[in-house]
Amino acid sequence: MNADPQAKAGQPVLKVDDLRTHIFLKRGTVQAVDGVSFHVNAGETLGLVGESGSGKSMTSLSILRLTPKPGARTVSGRIEIDGINVLDLDEETMVRDIRGKLVSMISQDPMTSLNPVFSIGDQVGAAFRYHDLVQGRSAIREAVVNVLRRVRIPSPERRLDDFPHQYSGGMRQRVVSAMAIACSPKLMIADEPTSNLDVTIQVQIIRLLREIQKETGVGLIFITHDMGVAANICDRVAVMYAGRIVEIGDVETIFANPSHPYTQGLLDSIPHLGRRRERLYSIPGNPPDMQNPPSGCRFAARCPHVMDKCRSEYPPETTVAPGHMAACWLVGKSG
Amino acid sequence: MILEIDNLVKHFPVGGSFPFGGSKGEVKAVDGVSFGIGAGETFALVGESGCGKTTIAKLILLLEQPTSGRIIFDGTDLTSLNRKQVKEYRRNAQAVFQDPYSSLNPRMKVRDILAEPIRAHQTMGRKDLERRLDEVLEIVGLPERAKRNYPHEFSGGQRQRIAVARALTLNPKFIVLDEPISALDVSIRAQILNLLEDIQKELGLTYLIIAHDLALVEHVSTTVGVMYLGNLVEIGPTAQVFDDPQHPYTQALLAAVPRPDPKHGLSEQLATGEIASALNPPSGCKFHPRCPHVLDVCSQDYPELRRIGESRAAGCHLLEERSA
Repeated sequence: MNADPQAKAGQPVLKVDDLRTHIFLKRGTVQAVDGVSFHVNAGETLGLVGESGSGKSMTSLSILRLTPKPGARTVSGRIEIDGINVLDLDEETMVRDIRGKLVSMISQDPMTSLNPVFSIGDQVGAAFRYHDLVQGRSAIREAVVNVLRRVRIPSPERRLDDFPHQYSGGMRQRVVSAMAIACSPKLMIADEPTSNLDVTIQVQIIRLLREIQKETGVGLIFITHDMGVAANICDRVAVMYAGRIVEIGDVETIFANPSHPYTQGLLDSIPHLGRRRERLYSIPGNPPDMQNPPSGCRFAARCPHVMDKCRSEYPPETTVAPGHMAACWLVGKSG
Repeated sequence: MILEIDNLVKHFPVGGSFPFGGSKGEVKAVDGVSFGIGAGETFALVGESGCGKTTIAKLILLLEQPTSGRIIFDGTDLTSLNRKQVKEYRRNAQAVFQDPYSSLNPRMKVRDILAEPIRAHQTMGRKDLERRLDEVLEIVGLPERAKRNYPHEFSGGQRQRIAVARALTLNPKFIVLDEPISALDVSIRAQILNLLEDIQKELGLTYLIIAHDLALVEHVSTTVGVMYLGNLVEIGPTAQVFDDPQHPYTQALLAAVPRPDPKHGLSEQLATGEIASALNPPSGCKFHPRCPHVLDVCSQDYPELRRIGESRAAGCHLLEERSA
């Protein structure tokens, strides 16, 4: 908002390189995130899509260094936010300078991310107080009204002293979005922010996030399992399966020309509105056990094009076209 | 018609503070809904949270007593059945619920989960029972040895197969599917959907499906009823309703669905604001505060369902304007 958003567009605000976050349990180790690399540019939205257990939420928690303790630990890799490697920082610095200030998060359920016993004004104001951005009660109040106005809450000066239960589900998600943009972060992580909302409200929140992004030039990671939502909001999409990114590319490319058999299967197995078909394609089998992932390609057991090589060796990330990568032995082979 | 619902009403009283009793008001969860389901049909009820679709499913399954109205199954009124007749009805009408993690008892083996409905309804010899269990397991695509395991040993998709098998053990005519795939992983959903379609064809079942995913509803259902705040606002053959929605709410709902196609552009926002409280619904047409085409009359008179053509109906004052 203060700086010109266009000037920085296109610069990466986040670089993740070979991230590995494992969960150590008594009965074994779950390789929740196992060698994930991607970047997010200023002003763009990267979608992380995949089903539960694919590692998309664990990836975002690793970026914030908020992986559940004890148990989960980032064992290797590099996470650079605005040029700072956050894996080198201590907890105090993370709290003071990174979380909420440089990176913010919008979670799935706005009711649990808001405290029921504090007023909306108090909670949104906490961001300003905590990071010492605004001083004085009336100045904070004014800043809160401004930020609530930016997320299109009608007459914010009157709704400031209300409590979360007096807000509807869609309005609560707007409040959470206001808290996320309060400190003008460089990066926002939205973890299934619309999954609990009805479709007519979902479309309002998606539109709001896109507007906020246009105004501020923030980089956004949008986690979802809904391919429809991903097609609506993302500029680029990374498809995750069993702890790895199997395909990444522009949203148009991923939907029109998917190269990885998992992406293809996923797109074929969802019903499309207005396209009545006799039968949906169904991906056979179940996702692999992450404590004992198969040695080769993790999708091999469910893949219709599986070859011997797939079962023994994990396919390298292969460039299909500039900006479009897929991890599959078939890529480049058939042209 | 295998099932007919006639002016069904369910109001839940909302209590005042405890020592003084008295009721503060009523949540009008279902407020005068009528429709019929033909044998072999898949009827879908769609709508957003709080529209009353799940309450209707509960009323049909006799898990709630209606405030007024009738539910007629195969010619008999369900609201006046005695206990024995209710039991007979339950043999014919079964349900599959949303979450297979909570709908299967974790302390029971699959054998007991599947045998429970049979044991409750009839006496069957051990051998016959085992044979029946193997039959239903085969229908849902699970191996016979699954009987010896507990629910936690199965994945979500397999658990939902067990729930479907349990619904089938008594050879019902009619199954209520309450959000049958929304708790499952995306790559598993198509498996269960296809399974449900196959079973329906094979056994000639009638389905009532409750869902909020419109693309899914368009895919599976033959007839659709769109609900808003306790009322049916539009009903008709699925293909016709989805191709040419008549009620502004149906239009807004369909426009808001995000399409898995980036070329389609951003979903449209036709309805403004949010769903009103069912405790204090707006006067007249309940959708009027959010409607882009609102007229003066909308806030005063409730628009009754009007027939459109042979098999469709919608409740909107605009349709009267048009035909007048």
